Order: sequence, then structure tokens, then C-alpha cells
Amino acid sequence: MSELVSHLALGFSVAFSLHNLGLAFAGCLVGTLVGVLPGVGPIATITMLLPITFSLEPVGALIMLAGIYYGAQYGGSTTAILVNIPGEVTSVVTTLDGHQMAKQGRAGVALGIAAIGSFFAGCFATLVIAALAVPLTKVALLFGPAEYAALMTAGLAFAVVLARGSILKSIMMVLVGLLLSTVGRDLETGVERMTFGYNAVADGVDFAVLAMGLFGFAEVMRNLEVEQARDVVHKAIGRLLPTRADFRQAAGPVVRGTLLGAVLGILPGNGAVLGPFASYTLEKKIARDPKRFGRGAIEGVAGPEAANNAGAQTSFIPLLTLGIPPNAVMALMVGAMTIHGIAPGPLVMTRNAPLFWGLIVSMWLGNLMLLVINLPLIGVWVRLLKVPYRLLYPAILIFCCIGIYSVNNQSSDVIFTAAFALFGYAASKLGFESAPLLLGYVLGRLLEENLRRALAISRGDLAIFLHRPVSAWLLFTALVVVVVAVLPTIRTRREEVFVE
Amino acid sequence: MARVRVQAPQDLVAGASLLAVAAFALWASADVPVGHLRSPGPGMLPRVLNTVIAVGGAILVVVSFLRPGESLGRWPWRGPTFIVLATLTFALTIRSVGLAVAGPLVVLISGAASPETRWRELVVFAVAITLFCVGLFRLLLHLPIPILKIPGVLTV
Repeated sequence: MSELVSHLALGFSVAFSLHNLGLAFAGCLVGTLVGVLPGVGPIATITMLLPITFSLEPVGALIMLAGIYYGAQYGGSTTAILVNIPGEVTSVVTTLDGHQMAKQGRAGVALGIAAIGSFFAGCFATLVIAALAVPLTKVALLFGPAEYAALMTAGLAFAVVLARGSILKSIMMVLVGLLLSTVGRDLETGVERMTFGYNAVADGVDFAVLAMGLFGFAEVMRNLEVEQARDVVHKAIGRLLPTRADFRQAAGPVVRGTLLGAVLGILPGNGAVLGPFASYTLEKKIARDPKRFGRGAIEGVAGPEAANNAGAQTSFIPLLTLGIPPNAVMALMVGAMTIHGIAPGPLVMTRNAPLFWGLIVSMWLGNLMLLVINLPLIGVWVRLLKVPYRLLYPAILIFCCIGIYSVNNQSSDVIFTAAFALFGYAASKLGFESAPLLLGYVLGRLLEENLRRALAISRGDLAIFLHRPVSAWLLFTALVVVVVAVLPTIRTRREEVFVE
Repeated sequence: MARVRVQAPQDLVAGASLLAVAAFALWASADVPVGHLRSPGPGMLPRVLNTVIAVGGAILVVVSFLRPGESLGRWPWRGPTFIVLATLTFALTIRSVGLAVAGPLVVLISGAASPETRWRELVVFAVAITLFCVGLFRLLLHLPIPILKIPGVLTV
């Protein structure tokens, strides 16, 4: 316990420098600014803003990135409530009751309770991370290649189940992602794979390029197809601060949502996506009058938003302790860390303690910033949302182009991004989702490395994955998860969840 | 003789695309040593993945004849074409001429992607957003993006 306090104290001493406070503030501000734009999710936002952190020292850069991340998340919730367009999957649930509240002239209260609920969730999740970091890092040191490979396989299995649409197609997308990750020079032997001797891909496909193509550009292409009649709330925003009665109604959902989100967020394979759905379902089940849900029930905003934020934060745990990014956003964080010369994993905490604890405290700080920035600036976001899409998408495009060019100062990266955009667009037309592909790509290199090491240790005996209890258990879980998802009864339930 | 009918066009094309991806990757990695389980070579994982992707594609193709499913849907060409064109133009001009030319070009070419575009408005917007980007990325953030290059005359 005293260890925990001293760690947090170290973190506070790092994060509370004027410089770092300023960076956290700036990060949250621009993150929200870009995240509020309809059709720009956290992945595109972070990729676009990644270059602005290049000139900073590592601690400051990570603090700013964490700020951008939270800002982008909250921006997604803002559009969900005000315009009924979810910025990403995790704010889909918020549109249900949040937008109804806005239509009833209670947009301010919805945004307020979302910010306050998220702040509570953020505080709790920060403590969870601080408490779990040390023990989990010790577990990580016991993991051998077989366990790592099994854990990543389990993560990919979760990602398959959590994606929308056909399971077979999701599995195929994961495999295509893994295949893409093998492009480039093999780390062990130096043999070039599928590069056709072309220099630009000798080090593999750049993650930022892939992510930006699939989630930035392809999204613009998809948005251009639908009528851009945005349902911006015309009613007044109303008071921001929830009343005492609102607080009483929202308190329970916030606490339950926080717990659900925090637990699900730790799961590998983007378990955080489940949090808001689970919270909404739970609140609707235990509500005295479930009919209120979907008609502007404050519980339907407070719970999922808290779950969303708690999950967003605890999903840092697998990254910081095991070095395994659980979702695409965390993979971008890996990219950013690598650029600054930090290899995420169990060693960061011991070798670079100020950075580690500074980052954790700055997460809490980011949540506080959101509360401070967003409530007064809601008027600005509303005005931004009224900009018509015919002007918005050229602006998004030019920012994306500059962002992707600046990552490596390579024109070829921009060309590749365009190619991946077409690929992602076509894939979505054929019923394939991009998220599993991205996770497959993210874990590909690590997975291959550990697979090969495990096989080298066992001299080619595949049974090593079953002889080691932890790895066998993880693989069994992965199998069960996929099999259960394919069973007919569960399959219809799963479709219902995504339709809702 | 019973006619064979495609019941799920989307799945048929999806499966065929997977087969194409697998075939292409197989060809591209044909010369990479696969090794064996005892000492897996760099070609081992790609080979395994290719095989499974091909099998998955084949399953999709077969099932598309047996079980009814989604149609192919609409494939509008205007949006994607102009978005890609705009991006390629940016890639080709950013280093050689600079942002002052690449910026407006991206905005104007991408404008053709939407039927709602109002051209006069867009021209003004193109200039404004380019100025904003120069200010933000070059002056404020000091990113090494060329602004304007005229060979032999000036480089900013």
C-alpha cells in the first residue's frame, strides 16, 4: 500500500510540472477538437496528431498522446449525444438515450453527466492500473514464448468474436492482418519477404499508414455515400450541471459501469468494446421501469459512458505490463513509444520508473482536463458540428495527408495510404470489418517471434503449447470463445446486441 | 438438370477475393525458405496463413451457392475515385512543389467526390485551409514540410 502511494507520488511529481500540465491540456483540447468531427474516430485522430508530438521529449510526448486519446474518446461521445453519430463503436450506446435527452432540451445534462461519470471512472481506473501494474509485471516475467503466443491467440479470438458480422469473415481478416505483418525483412534471418525488392516496404508496412488508410480515408469514402443530413440538435443545450435528482439516478449506474468497464478493459483483444453494451443491458435489466430506456433515461448515458472510459483506461494494462497492445489505439501508442525509443513491456516500469508512473498519473490528469475543458467549450463544439460535410471532408483529407506524410517524411507513405483506403472500402462492401485486420497486423510480428522461439525450445514439437498449463488454458479459452460464438443460439443473441 | 444459382453474391466475391489474396501472396513469397517445424524459416508463417486463407475463401465460395445471403449492393465510383486521385496528387506534389500547391489541389480535387460541392465556396476554403495548415504545421510545430519550391528561384 505504501508502495502504491510512493509510486503515485513519483508520478504526480513528474506529471505536475507546468510543462507537462500544459501538454496534457493541449492534448485534450486538440484531441476533442478533432474527435468531435463526425466520422473521425480515435484511431484517425491519433494518427493525424501523432506528428505534433515528435519534437517533444518522451515523457511529454506520451502525456500529450494520452490527452489526445481521452479527448478523442470524449469527442466521440459529444457527437453521439448532439448529432446522433457515434464517433466509434464504444459510443454507439450513448446515442440511444443521449440523443433523446438532447432532443428534450437536456443535452447539457447529458454531456455533463457523461463528463462527470467518465471522470469518476477515470479516477477508479487509474487506481486499478497503479495497483495491478506491479503484480502483473511480475507475472509477465514468468511468461515464456509459448505463453505469450497463446495469450495473443486468445486476444485475436476475442477480437474475432467482438467484431460485427460473419465469424468466418472476421477470422479471415485477422489472418490477412497477420499476413500483412509478415511483409518486409524477417527479423531473424534478414530474408526479405513479399517486398519485390522495393525499399519502401523493406521494414514492413507502416502501422500508421495502414490505420489511416483503413480508418481515416476509407471512412470518408463511406460517409460520402450516405446522405449527410445531420441531425444537429436545434434545442438549447440547457444547464450543464445535473440536478441533485439526476445525480441520485446516475450514481448507481456510474459505479456499476465503472466496475464492468474496468474489468472488461483488461481483456486482450479489445474487451473494452463490450463495456458500454454490458452496462446498458445491465441498467435496463435492473431498472424499475425499463420502458424509459431509449427515451432519454439518464442512466442509459451515465453507465455506458463510465464503462467506456474505465475500459479505455484499463486497456493500457496489457500494454504497459505485457507489452501486448489489446487494440488498435494502443498499437498506435506502441508506435509512438518506439519512435521515442521506449519498448513497451514489463521492463519499462523498472528501467524508466518516472516515465511509467508519470504516464499513469497523467491519465488521471487527462480526465480532469476533460472535465475542465469540455463543459465550458460545448458551445464551440456545437458550432463545429454545424459545419457541413462538403467542407469537412476536404479538411479531414488535407490533415490526414499532412499527418501521414509527416510520420516519416515519405511521399510513398501517402500513396500506400490511398491503396489501403481503397482496400478497406472494398472490404467493407464485401462484409469484412477492418478492426480485426488491424489487430492481427499489430500482434503479427510479436506472435511470429514467440511462435518461432517456442518451437525452437521444444525442437519443433507443437505439443509445447499444451504441456505448459498457462498456455494450454489460454488456448482452451480462445477455442471456447470462438466455438460458443458460432453456436446458433448465441449467434442470434450476438446479432441482437449489435443491432441494439 | 438443376441450374446452379448464386445465392449470396457478396460472399461469392468475398471468397474469390480471399483466394486472389492468397494466390498473390503465395506467388510473392514463393522464393522464401519455409524451413520445417524444428527450425521454422521465414516463409513458414506466410505459407500457413496463405493456406488457411485459401481454404476460408473456398468455403465462402462454396457456401455462396448453397445458402442465401446479401447481394453485392451499390458500388458508387465517384467518391473513392476522387479521394484517391486527390491523395495521389498530394503525394506527387508535396516534395517537388510544396504544400502551397499540394494543399489547394487536394481540397479542389476531393471536392469532385461529392455532388453537394459548391465550387466558389470551395476555392476560398482551399486557400484558407492551406494558410491555416502552413501556420499550424510549419510555423507553430516546425514540421519539415516544404511550403513552396520553384527550382532555381526559391525554396521555402
